[in-house]
Order: sequence, then C-alpha cells, then structure tokens
Amino acid sequence: MRLALDRIGHAFLGRTVLEGCDLLLANGEIVALVGPSGCGKTTLLQIAAGLIDPLRGRVRRDYRRHAMVFQEPRLMPWLTAGENIAYGLASLDLPRRRRREIAGVHARLVGLEPADLDKYPAELSGGMRQRVAVARALAVEPEVVFFDEPFTAVDVGLRRALQDLVMRMAGDGPSGQGFSGLFVTHDLAEAVRLADRLAILSARARGIVEIRAVPGRRAARGDRDVFEIVQSWSREEAFAELVDGEGRHVP
Amino acid sequence: MRLSWLGRYLWSGWAGAAGLFCLLAAWQASHEVYGSFVLPSPLQTLAAIRDVVRGPGFVAAVAETAARTFTGFGLAAGLGTVAGAIAGYSFAAMRVMRPVVAVVLGVPPISWIVLALIWFGASGGSAVATVVVAALPISFAGALEGVATRDRSLDAMARVFGAGPLRRFRTVTLPHLLSYLFPAWTTTVGTAWKVTVMAELLANAGGIGGELATARALFDIPQVTAWTTLVVAFALATDYGLLTPLRERLERWRSAGLPWGVKR
Ligand SMILES: Nc1ncnc2c1ncn2[C@@H]1O[C@H](COP(=O)(O)OP(=O)(O)OP(=O)(O)O)[C@@H](O)[C@H]1O
Ligand SMILES: [Mg+2]
Repeated sequence: MRLALDRIGHAFLGRTVLEGCDLLLANGEIVALVGPSGCGKTTLLQIAAGLIDPLRGRVRRDYRRHAMVFQEPRLMPWLTAGENIAYGLASLDLPRRRRREIAGVHARLVGLEPADLDKYPAELSGGMRQRVAVARALAVEPEVVFFDEPFTAVDVGLRRALQDLVMRMAGDGPSGQGFSGLFVTHDLAEAVRLADRLAILSARARGIVEIRAVPGRRAARGDRDVFEIVQSWSREEAFAELVDGEGRHVP
Repeated sequence: MRLSWLGRYLWSGWAGAAGLFCLLAAWQASHEVYGSFVLPSPLQTLAAIRDVVRGPGFVAAVAETAARTFTGFGLAAGLGTVAGAIAGYSFAAMRVMRPVVAVVLGVPPISWIVLALIWFGASGGSAVATVVVAALPISFAGALEGVATRDRSLDAMARVFGAGPLRRFRTVTLPHLLSYLFPAWTTTVGTAWKVTVMAELLANAGGIGGELATARALFDIPQVTAWTTLVVAFALATDYGLLTPLRERLERWRSAGLPWGVKR
C-alpha cells in the first residue's frame, strides 16, 4: 500500500464538494479517477498530493517521493526546458552534472531532441511543453505520481505515445518496479487503457460512487479489449453522468 | 551570444542617439529665438561643460553628490524592496500599506526637503534623508505588486516537487518580482539624482547643487545648463551602465519568447 485516503471530505466556502471518500493505492498500481467536469477530481487529487488540507478525513502516505503532472504544463518561463526537467532533482542532493544527465535521459524518453533542452518554454510548442512536464515528473524517480488530465491538450498520436510511456514507466502492473499512479481523466477510453482500477466520482453523490477493476492485465490489453470494455460500460448506470449530458445545461 | 548582445546594445544606442539629436535641434532652435542670456546654445553649453570639468572643485562636487545619491538610492531601494516583498506576502499588510504608499508618493519632494532641512539642518544628511523618503515608496510599491502577483500555480508545483519556502522564493517569486523591481529601480535612480541636487541647492550643502547655487548667484546661465546636462548624463549612465546590463543578464528568458522585430 502506497497511499490511503480515509473518509476524505472537503468543502469550498461552505459548499461541500467531497464526502466520505475512501481509496487505496497499491504498490505499482494505477488508479484512474473518472467523473464529469466539476465533480471534484482535481480537488481529491490535490488533497492526496498534500496541496490542499482536507476538512475531514485523513491521508496516509507510505513513500518518500511523489511527483505531479498538472492539467497545464506549469513550467517556469525563466528556466530552459532542461532546467525545468531538472527542477525536482535539486532537492535530491545530486551533483550538477548528474542532474543534467538525468534530465537528458528523461527528455529523450518523452521524445524531445537534445537541442530542445536549451530552449525556453516560450520557444516550445504546447505538446512539447506538456512533454517537458511529464519528463520533470518522471525524472525524480517518484514512487507515486499524480496525473491531472495530463494529455487533454495533446494530439491523438502523442497522447497514445505518452500513455504508453506512463504504462511502461509504471511497471508491469501491481508488484512491479515502477511507480504507483493516481490518474485523473474524463476520458473513459484513456482510463480503461492505462488503469488497473477505476474510481468513479459523481457530482450528485459528492464523492466516489464505485471502484471497479478493469478486466485483464494492463500491459496485455489491446485496442479491441479497450473498445469493448468502454462499449459495455458506457451503457451502465454508474457512468451515466460521465457519458451523457444529462443534468448538465449548456445554453 | 555575447556578440549579439553587444550588437543589440549598440543598435539601441544608435536609435536613442537619433532621438537625442532631435532634442538638440529643438534646443538650438529655441536658443536662436530667445538668445544666449535666456537659453545658451548646445555648443555654448558644451564649452561650459569643458570649463566645469576642468575646474578645481569638479571631482569633489560630483563625488559628493554621487555618494549621497547612491547612499539614498541604496537605502531606498533596499528598504523599500524588502518591506514591499514582506507586505506582498500578507493580504492584511497589503491592504493597509497600499493607501499609505499612494499618499506618500503624492507628497512633493520639495516638501520633504523643507521638512528635512528643519529636522536635520543644512547638511548632506538632509539630502540623503529626502532621497530615501521620496524614492522608497516606489521600490516598495514595485516589490509589493511583484510578490502579490506571483504565480501561485507555479508555487504549488514547486511545493509538490519538494521545494522549501526559500527555494520557492528564489525560483518562483524572485524572477517574477524582478520584472517589477527594475522599472521601480530605474525611476528610483532618476529621482535620487534629481532630489539630491535639489536638496543640496536648498540646503547649501555643497555638491552639484551647491555649484548650481553659485552659478545662479553669478547669473552664469551656461554653467547652469552645463551642470544640468551633466546631472542628466550621470542619471542616464547609472541606468544604462548599471541597471540595464544587469537586467539584460537576469531576464534573458524574457527576450526568448519575443518575435524578431520586437527584440530591441
Ligand atoms: N479554490 C476553489 N475555491 C472555490 N471553489 C472551488 C475551488 N476549487 C474548486 N472549486 C469547486 O469545487 C468543485 C470541484 O472542482 P474540481 O476542480 O475538483 O473539479 P474537476 O472534477 O477537476 O473538474 P474538471 O474535470 O473540469 O477539471 C467545482 O464545483 C469548483 O467550482
Ligand atoms: Mg480538474
């Protein structure tokens, strides 16, 4: 067990967003948090990462290092791509040369050219910035990684490549060598593709309504399996809020 | 890198020189309309500058004024920046300090000079004191705005990656803060030179202000324009010789995102 959320509840300005959320994150496991917009996915993730103190409940952590990929890249405009990737390494007490090496290795992993490392974020494309953010998170060799809809702004091909990278780095399912991940997404196909378990959040129920395991081993799941699981699940009541626009008014 | 930086520096100097020559032309034209007694020509001023520079008290006067200016600037920029940055972290302090700064900034420097003369007597101390009170609110306001408008989402990111408060200040807040500080410091330096000379003149405390007072007593108008031109030159030299290169060095990232034509 890496991370445990016990009866987490939170409210903003008196308006309750989350109530009684329980969740366990096992070693090497990826849990996807899915739910409609505004149901509190980001809030729950930030509580898990320690960025927000929950009003009720407790977070237990059993790891030394975590990292996060945010919904936006959140790069320092005044640091080059390479320095941004190395940002989290500064607290690890490594010599400067070693840090540069690690940054270079992870830049290659996400498909950045060595020449890109000396560019400032303003000189990179949106997809490249998000790749830098992914590299920055993986570079610290974290035991737990928090992802907040990290790939919504990148094109389909790059999204697949980055999903594959996350799966590869997370290791081969539970008990693997890599990291555990908490992965927020509103894309059911993405969740089914890379998660071991799904935690389904609801805006109406203000919290997690169901946790279910995705059939099959993560690495062995083909596109066809993903498609079929998504097809059958999206007809279910539990995913109604996520899949159809019911109860949401867009003028 | 170094060469392109030098090239840009020279190019901006060339563009600036064109503007200056327009100003000189206007000066010459006014001189021809009103005559030497009211407004000496640029050439006459140049000759007067030569005399002034060769004069016996030149180095002493400039050194005295410069010392006061830099003491005042250092105190104003230092205290103002530190106090402003601290206030920027606290909403309560910010709400209290903003109107205070607005009021203090509204007080004309000349009033401070008169008050300082009464409090400290006619000495160099009152010149420095005037510079500090007149220029401190500028740095204070700049630092306050800079810290208050820091990027909180980057701060949260840094927290996730294990950065403590000090490292977060150095890597997240400070680079953002600098873009507010440099304009404030530029204004502060200009104010410091002007106010020092003014205070020296009124306090009769030597320095360039003292020389101006003498020139006025003798109705030596070319010497007045000469000293004036020199003070302007010193103020600009402080800005372009000290602050601008420092800023270029620290904010290289800022020019990275600009399209070609906008790079100076
Ligand atoms: N700092 C805040 N102050 C007040 N209310 C907030 C704050 N942050 C979030 N909320 C509210 O909490 C609710 C949940 O927000 P959250 O950002 O967790 O949603 P989300 O599930 O991540 O949505 P999305 O998929 O659109 O990102 C929203 O109704 C939002 O208005
Ligand atoms: Mg969100």
